[in-house]
Amino acid sequence: MEQILASIGNHLFLVFGLMAVAGAVSLVFSKNAVHSVVGFLFSMLSVAGCYLCMSAEFLAVAQLLVYAGGIVVLFLFVVMLVELTKYKESGIFQRQTLPAVVAVVVGAVAFIGVFWGTVFGPGAKVALTLEPALAQNLDVAAQNSQAVSRGLFAGYLLPFEILSVILLVALVGAVALAKKERV
Amino acid sequence: MASMNSVLFISFLLFSVGVAGVLIRRNALVILMCVELMLNAANLNLIAFARHAGTVAGQAFALLVMGLAAAEVAIGLALVVALYRKKDTIQVDNINLLKG
Repeated sequence: MEQILASIGNHLFLVFGLMAVAGAVSLVFSKNAVHSVVGFLFSMLSVAGCYLCMSAEFLAVAQLLVYAGGIVVLFLFVVMLVELTKYKESGIFQRQTLPAVVAVVVGAVAFIGVFWGTVFGPGAKVALTLEPALAQNLDVAAQNSQAVSRGLFAGYLLPFEILSVILLVALVGAVALAKKERV
Repeated sequence: MASMNSVLFISFLLFSVGVAGVLIRRNALVILMCVELMLNAANLNLIAFARHAGTVAGQAFALLVMGLAAAEVAIGLALVVALYRKKDTIQVDNINLLKG
């Protein structure tokens, strides 16, 4: 795995990334909402592949479980629940589509102009490798889940616990919002 | 190993598609999915910079962002369902209760 990543990792990452972008484009431009969800699923799976190419294996598996296993199924449930066929004739794009596209293109060009030297300059060719002095007796690249757990439970325990409270609030709030009538 | 410029380029493309989707689509479900796309682009950047700096802080934050995205989707879909019960549509330009 390490040898494969060291030799063709960048090309593999680009392939997965362009697949993710293709899925995103099909998500935005497809008429049918179910097709949009399938494009979203494709994009999320490709992003998981990108994580693998950056040797963040734990996050790749978490991405598969959370997005492909949970969020896509939730979206599909709601797509089946609400009836979309009634409003098909009103068109899928907003009235401000042209100014919005122009604004996004202008923003993209401005971003490229500002960050061209950073993103495409000669100094940006440095491969993403770890400094061994910072890894603290731990091969972060080889033991990814151990490294992430050390980061989470040693350095960032408080945000992790706050996240559990936020998830509880979201759970109760979703049940309260989607209930038929208030009692 | 993936180089920094390709990671930034892919993440920039994903984020642009997400912004464009939020701005031009009428369907509230598609808008929620585009917000997820933008969060994923941010996650890619977090992981890339974490590897660049040699720490795992960015990966831990990416995991937290993933949890927040799940919470956001749960709340957003509950809002969509409640809106569909109330207004019988999820097209965002038909939702003008505040328009007077």
